[in-house]
Amino acid sequence: MTTYPRPYVSPRPARPGSGASAPPAAVPRRGANGRRLLVVLFLGGLVASVLPWWRDTPAGSLTGATAMTTAAGQITGLVAGYLLLVQVLMMSRLPVLERWAGGERIARWHRDVAATLLVAVLAHTALILVGYAGLEGRSLLGQAGVMLREYQDMVSAFAAAGLLVLVGLVSVRAVRRVLPYELWHATHLAAYAVLLLGFAHQFSNGSQLFRPGPARTGWIALYVLVVAAWLWGRVINPLRFNLRHRLRVSDVVTESPDAVSLYLTGSGLDRLELLGGQFFRWRFLTRGCWWQSHPFSVSAAANDRWLRLTVKVVGRHTQDLRNLDPGVRVWAVGPSGTCTAAHRTRERALLIAAGSGITPLRAMLEELPPGAALIYRARTPADVLLQEELDWLVRNRGLRVWYVVGSRNDPVPRQVMTPDGLRQLVPDVARRDVYLCGPPGLVEQYRQVLRQAGVRRRQIHLATFEL
Amino acid sequence: MRRALLAITGLAASTTALVVFKAAPGTGQPAQEAPTAAEGPAPAAGSDETTPRASTAPESTRSASGASRSGSSGAPGTPAASRTGTAAAPPTASTLVGPVVSNEFGDVQVRITVVGDRIVNAAAQRLPRGTAQSDQRSDQVDSRYSGAVGMVVERQSADLDTISGATATSDAYRRSLQAAIDQRR
Repeated sequence: MTTYPRPYVSPRPARPGSGASAPPAAVPRRGANGRRLLVVLFLGGLVASVLPWWRDTPAGSLTGATAMTTAAGQITGLVAGYLLLVQVLMMSRLPVLERWAGGERIARWHRDVAATLLVAVLAHTALILVGYAGLEGRSLLGQAGVMLREYQDMVSAFAAAGLLVLVGLVSVRAVRRVLPYELWHATHLAAYAVLLLGFAHQFSNGSQLFRPGPARTGWIALYVLVVAAWLWGRVINPLRFNLRHRLRVSDVVTESPDAVSLYLTGSGLDRLELLGGQFFRWRFLTRGCWWQSHPFSVSAAANDRWLRLTVKVVGRHTQDLRNLDPGVRVWAVGPSGTCTAAHRTRERALLIAAGSGITPLRAMLEELPPGAALIYRARTPADVLLQEELDWLVRNRGLRVWYVVGSRNDPVPRQVMTPDGLRQLVPDVARRDVYLCGPPGLVEQYRQVLRQAGVRRRQIHLATFEL
Repeated sequence: MRRALLAITGLAASTTALVVFKAAPGTGQPAQEAPTAAEGPAPAAGSDETTPRASTAPESTRSASGASRSGSSGAPGTPAASRTGTAAAPPTASTLVGPVVSNEFGDVQVRITVVGDRIVNAAAQRLPRGTAQSDQRSDQVDSRYSGAVGMVVERQSADLDTISGATATSDAYRRSLQAAIDQRR
């Protein structure tokens, strides 16, 4: 087994050739244009999906409550069909989506669209039932029975709606918190069944889609596109990445009583387009671990020799990671994430880390322009990770670091967690980008404090992922 | 979460807006019932007018859009009709509209175009619309019966085969058609 120079013993510049005396230029910025384009495309698609209804319905034709109810049911149905495809597309991990919007933001969008989708599906079901019952002069239950018995593909459509409600239910934050991750995950996989089960009824019963024509062709094309994007993002691209880089564990290093660093080696790492602060979804191909994939940030800037992730041991899986043998193959999907130096909006940055939240921030420190400041919250001195590297960065990169050690209720951490306390440490905090990483509760608290200190929303970058 | 609430509110508001907008009568909507048999005296170029008539007819209702669709689907057949038209030279084309026949699914009304003694075109002015199922039934009936090459033109009478799965609509179509044919004498 090869041993590698460990940066915590003798920290080296991120890339060979760039001497410590001349810090490498900060990574170039990525603007928000890609994200805006995605939003415009989404809204355009939404309009286009309702367009067939608009063109099929002559003005003045909706007379009476039943016709209007049915029309509203058709609109919500088209919207729901479109949103379902958007949901799957957002989970396709298509590289362009990761680059333009970023994994964390897409996860947030996915949540918001999910709520809207659920309401649209329920509205569609209810409105169509009421509308058709009115048109055909039946009771609601009678109409539901007729639809299930006599309409094509409606059994599977009702099943799809039921599944979607179930998926929505287990994803409500309060419910999800008490469920084991595996159960939530398995239920979420059922969302693909929703796509499958809901497919047929749109074409056999959809008033806008059952006739051959541009609307039907376009709708089918949309499905083909989404499936292709999913295959690319979930299968082909990861295959390409892993065949090219062939990552393996080369070393496991204990950083603190409950944190380990994993060093990975592979081929072609110089071609890796990785930004500090980004994460991969890792799968360690060894007994007991291969079937789960977890997101961990990379904890050192990209270099051509190794990748490092630093993991806090909190559960069974992370416990297993501590005992990994060198040579174990690693399957990685990524990189993702927009909490990077490339997404800054200002020239100077303040980084606030709590506990193991230091890892992504540590990786981006070398890519930020000089003059960055770091506030590092830790419960006890032993919880401070990667301190030697941080000290090296202080000496060589002009980084300013404050270690704020103690429990949340100790006077010093409490003082730092106020707008005035922040301004005392960093007087120009309102003119900096602020990167936050740590436990969700603490991050949220800090976010509010920062807003009170006058930091604008777009200057605050969160690296919490709720995936 | 706040954004999700906004999106849901937006969905509800825009759906309502779309429906209300479409419920308002459009501009230039022709009176629907007025032109019955009175449409009769047609321009001298009797041949050409069968196609435009089908599409200039009331465009305001769903049933009318069904009719204009059947008109355009029958379009490839119209040259045949025009040939018979020019062959029979002077006799003018007239349009006869049958009565509205209602059944449990909705109303059916048939319009035929007659040149001399011959039916050259048939179109459904009204068909049951609304649910996906009635849309499908109506489309089946319309596509088999109507048009310049449909069963009506082929048989030259109201003696038409019943479309399976759409018995009531077929029946109503035949009754309206028979009444329209009867107006000829």
